Amino acid sequence: MSDLAIELFGITKRFGPKVAVSGVSFSVPRGAVYGLIGPNGAGKTTTFSMMCGYLYPSEGTLTVMDVDPSTPGALKGRVGALPQDAVLPPGWEVGALLTYWAKLSGLATPENEAREALEQVGLMDAWKVQTQALSHGMAKRTAMAQALMGRPPLVLLDEPTAGLDPRIAAQVRQVIKDMKGRQTVVVSSHNLQELEELCDAAAILDKGTLAQAGSMSELTGQGAEFRVQIASGTVIPPELTTLPDVTDARMEGESILVVRFGGQAKPEVVISRVVAHLLQSGVLILGISRGRRLEDRVLQLL
Amino acid sequence: MCKSDRVTHTLDGLKETLVIWGAEFRRAVRSGRAVVLLGLYSMFSALVLLVIGKLTSDLRTTMNERLAGAGADAESTARMMEETRNGVLGFLTSNDSAMMEALAQVPIEVLLVFKVTLFFLPAYVALMGFDQISGEVAPRSMRYLTVRARRSSVLLGKFLTQAALLVGLVLVIDLAIFIYARIANPDFGFAALSLNLLKFWLAAIVFSLAYVALTTLCSSVFRTPGVSLVFNFILLFVFWLMDTVGRASGETGSLRFLRYLSPSNYAGDLLHPKITEFGVSGAAYAAFATLFLLGAYGALRARDL
Repeated sequence: MSDLAIELFGITKRFGPKVAVSGVSFSVPRGAVYGLIGPNGAGKTTTFSMMCGYLYPSEGTLTVMDVDPSTPGALKGRVGALPQDAVLPPGWEVGALLTYWAKLSGLATPENEAREALEQVGLMDAWKVQTQALSHGMAKRTAMAQALMGRPPLVLLDEPTAGLDPRIAAQVRQVIKDMKGRQTVVVSSHNLQELEELCDAAAILDKGTLAQAGSMSELTGQGAEFRVQIASGTVIPPELTTLPDVTDARMEGESILVVRFGGQAKPEVVISRVVAHLLQSGVLILGISRGRRLEDRVLQLL
Repeated sequence: MCKSDRVTHTLDGLKETLVIWGAEFRRAVRSGRAVVLLGLYSMFSALVLLVIGKLTSDLRTTMNERLAGAGADAESTARMMEETRNGVLGFLTSNDSAMMEALAQVPIEVLLVFKVTLFFLPAYVALMGFDQISGEVAPRSMRYLTVRARRSSVLLGKFLTQAALLVGLVLVIDLAIFIYARIANPDFGFAALSLNLLKFWLAAIVFSLAYVALTTLCSSVFRTPGVSLVFNFILLFVFWLMDTVGRASGETGSLRFLRYLSPSNYAGDLLHPKITEFGVSGAAYAAFATLFLLGAYGALRARDL
């Protein structure tokens, strides 16, 4: 068994003349919560759909939980998936539909699994509700519940919180956090703050190509820079660059000092050293944040 | 893949098919659409039955009156009526003496209604199942299924659902026709009724399964249900045209072989008493059904969902 839950190598997907994804390669380690990031049309959903076996890659190799997802029946029991725009089939009661799908997944106690999954997403009241009568948020959570049934080792979630009210979105995020370490989770989302909060690592896609992939710490530069919010006093950046391990220091606007340091240095040592220097120089500090926000990194890349 | 893996794989596929079949069948039976379509087809069959019943009854009365007017005795009248019946039966069975003999006990109305409803059955099948696959592909609900089941299982499960619905529907219609025939013709005994009901039901099932498979094929090829339906009707028309042109070409025309490519060409022998003739007809329908299902699987297997 490989340490990787998903491995993409040179994946390309064409729809006629249009290239939706071009030569994308990255891997998702087992047990991680992994983000797929990118603007509209970046190829997130196409990549996601290839991982689920909905779309066949035009080129490249793709392995999901050690199997080729395009092999018939290969993903059964290995993957739970929340597709983005898939409509729940009409004419079913939610409970009956989930029980049917649980049975189809080969789960030993289908009805119990369905009830547990609905409880996880806070939707037990909807057991007898017809699928066509569900609100958008309820349909989304029902779809999320079907992905969770049977605790599959890999859960793929495409825009899990899109269109949900903040309370329910927080509940869904908590469900994802609870899976951390026990299951591998891939989350595709526009909500970068959410991904930064949830993910251990991510791949940033743009116009069908991979812009960057790595751990969240690598993407946000947590191990290489920090920001100091200045309340008052005068900062002289060249003085800071003379400190050990500091490679660059500059003001970003009037009150934000950005300090970069060598990759080998311990962040806590460098931060303490810089803060001590600033205080000695009579500078008053309002706050410190490591790295930069994921949103800033993504905006810089795209 | 070793032999035991293949067996496990096949068994797993069968289990999936059964689960899909059972669940989809329950949903279809509960759905308003199945009830409405069943009602419509029953009404259509009842209408055909009433029209044909009235026509044959009027024909009998007119003939009786004319024969009585011409001074024919009861024996001559009965003989004339029998000759007329044999003429119609000969037309319906292409003058096949074995078939005529086998169907001698069946009231002529039953045969006529059976032929008419059989002609329209493919259209009903198309209306009933045109969205069985495309209706799941277009809104992408198919994605919930394919992540937990093989595409072949989904296809077979959906096909069997439609087939099971049709088996029930055909039984209801055939039963109604035979009950009418029994009421209208007291000579039509219970034993003959039961035996012929079974034969007619079996013939209709064999006939319609190929068309269910055709509908499954059309539904798999296209993403939009409406387009599936239109394409299904186009194919039905093409098959009818091929059969008609092939027959019209006679035994020597260059287009005479066209009819062998149309399923309806083989409908005539489905009521044949000889097992060989029935077998050939049944095998032809089985071959068409297999071909259509393989085509459907090929289309669904190759496509992005």
